[in-house]
Amino acid sequence: MQQILVWIIFSISGVFLTLTVLIVANKAWRETQAAKRARRRRELEPKILTWAHGDEKTVRRALDGHPSSSDRAVIEQILLDHIQRVRGIERERMSRAMEQLGFVDTYLEGLESRRWWRRAKSAEKLGLAASKRVVPSLSRVLDDEMPEVRLRAAKALGQLGGVASARKLVRALNEPNRWSTIRVADILIGMGHKSIDVVIEAFAGLTREGQLAVLDIVGRVRPLSATPWLIERAKDESTDIRARACHALGSIGDPNVSDELIAAMDDDEWPVRAMAAKALGRMRVVKAIPNLARALRDQQWWVRHNAARALRDIGPRGLEALEKLVADGDAFAREQAVLMLEEAGHVDERAGELAQEGSAARKSAKLFFESIVATGATGRLRVLSREHPVEEVRRELLALLPEEAAS
Amino acid sequence: MASTQILVVDDDAVTARFIASLLREHGYDVLIAEDGVHALELVDRHELAMIVCDLVMPYRDGYSVLRAIRQNPKFHDLPVLLLSMRDREEDIVKGLEEGADDYVIKPFNARELLARIRKILNRKRKVS
Repeated sequence: MQQILVWIIFSISGVFLTLTVLIVANKAWRETQAAKRARRRRELEPKILTWAHGDEKTVRRALDGHPSSSDRAVIEQILLDHIQRVRGIERERMSRAMEQLGFVDTYLEGLESRRWWRRAKSAEKLGLAASKRVVPSLSRVLDDEMPEVRLRAAKALGQLGGVASARKLVRALNEPNRWSTIRVADILIGMGHKSIDVVIEAFAGLTREGQLAVLDIVGRVRPLSATPWLIERAKDESTDIRARACHALGSIGDPNVSDELIAAMDDDEWPVRAMAAKALGRMRVVKAIPNLARALRDQQWWVRHNAARALRDIGPRGLEALEKLVADGDAFAREQAVLMLEEAGHVDERAGELAQEGSAARKSAKLFFESIVATGATGRLRVLSREHPVEEVRRELLALLPEEAAS
Repeated sequence: MASTQILVVDDDAVTARFIASLLREHGYDVLIAEDGVHALELVDRHELAMIVCDLVMPYRDGYSVLRAIRQNPKFHDLPVLLLSMRDREEDIVKGLEEGADDYVIKPFNARELLARIRKILNRKRKVS
């Protein structure tokens, strides 16, 4: 019995010892390999970069012939690391190196793998390798059964750019059950101006969600050439389309569309009015001041808020309009006007005028602050009455504030 | 040309090595710092012709490095080119207003970066 126990203990100890030795050996082997790769990287990287900066056609010459299989892994990592950090000729040359060394072919084979993670990795690397010939293969992978593979293929197509890639991606906007519309839109935005003609061309055939995504893409990429198309969309029968078109027009900022945006301030639907107000503020359209001032009495809070912000953003003339609105008959308009004047620092700025002895500016400032006090929005004035660096200003403000507000 | 020493400051070692390789290829001496604190130590110890500095870094970011250089009378005219992934208008304007001589967005075009560096160095040479 005792012998059996001893035998069991020895066996278990033996197993543990063997496992420990194996783990240590494996770790040591991995660390040795990593150190070897790091050393090779230090030797190979300068050669590859020198080649990338130069004009020698074949990368193999820079690498002294055909690299060994262990060197290939190091070279691949060097190229993948650097290619995503640069643009222009260096990027093209590194892309060519990936072709010449057969990495692109390896990734294309990887797209056919039965393991989804290998397909995903290959798609990702093809995007980095920036070889245009892989667009048809990546497009096929957009129909992969695994969402992760589809997404990486989409990103890769986005990195490759070009009309062919954009056409394949825009199709995905119509399949919200298979694709996240926001992610696809982000990829198309990342492609910049190259995607614009394609998304506009596809617009009519897209679902409503896809169409809204297209308007967001155009608004984010901001191509001046899309302005006439957006003006048409701003007359669409759908409220959402009109609103997003106004938003995109504001982002592009073409001064020639200010009349269309001013007209949109009279739209029956409040989202359109709100977006038109925002756009006019972004574009700082001075002639829209009367329309924006009227919009401060709008039934909808978003329209009032956007119109007030727009007046603030327009600058001195907009602030002048906001000052007048402080004494408006509409309580909401007064509230928004005071809020924006405070945000613009205008209230603080005018407080200084209260110390200008006997001047017209002082008189006008007093009237301005009286009208603010009348609105009841005295929060900032209370702070200034305590903290303004000029004693006279503090005194004047305290005198203007009703007792309960001053305390 | 050989004595023109440029400091490359970037916490991303791959980018730093790429820029260093590009500059060395064109005859410049290159020093590398991996963060803002190390960069300011090197600025103090070496006769630099200019700095190529990343914006987002640990310990001290590019703006902070730039401010420290501009506030020090010994180095206040040392040219600084900012290099960053931040491509928003306000970041670029802030960088230039803080005193950067140029602002390049990542990923960058290597030859364009080189041309901008040369231009800054030529301007400095003419002024001095």
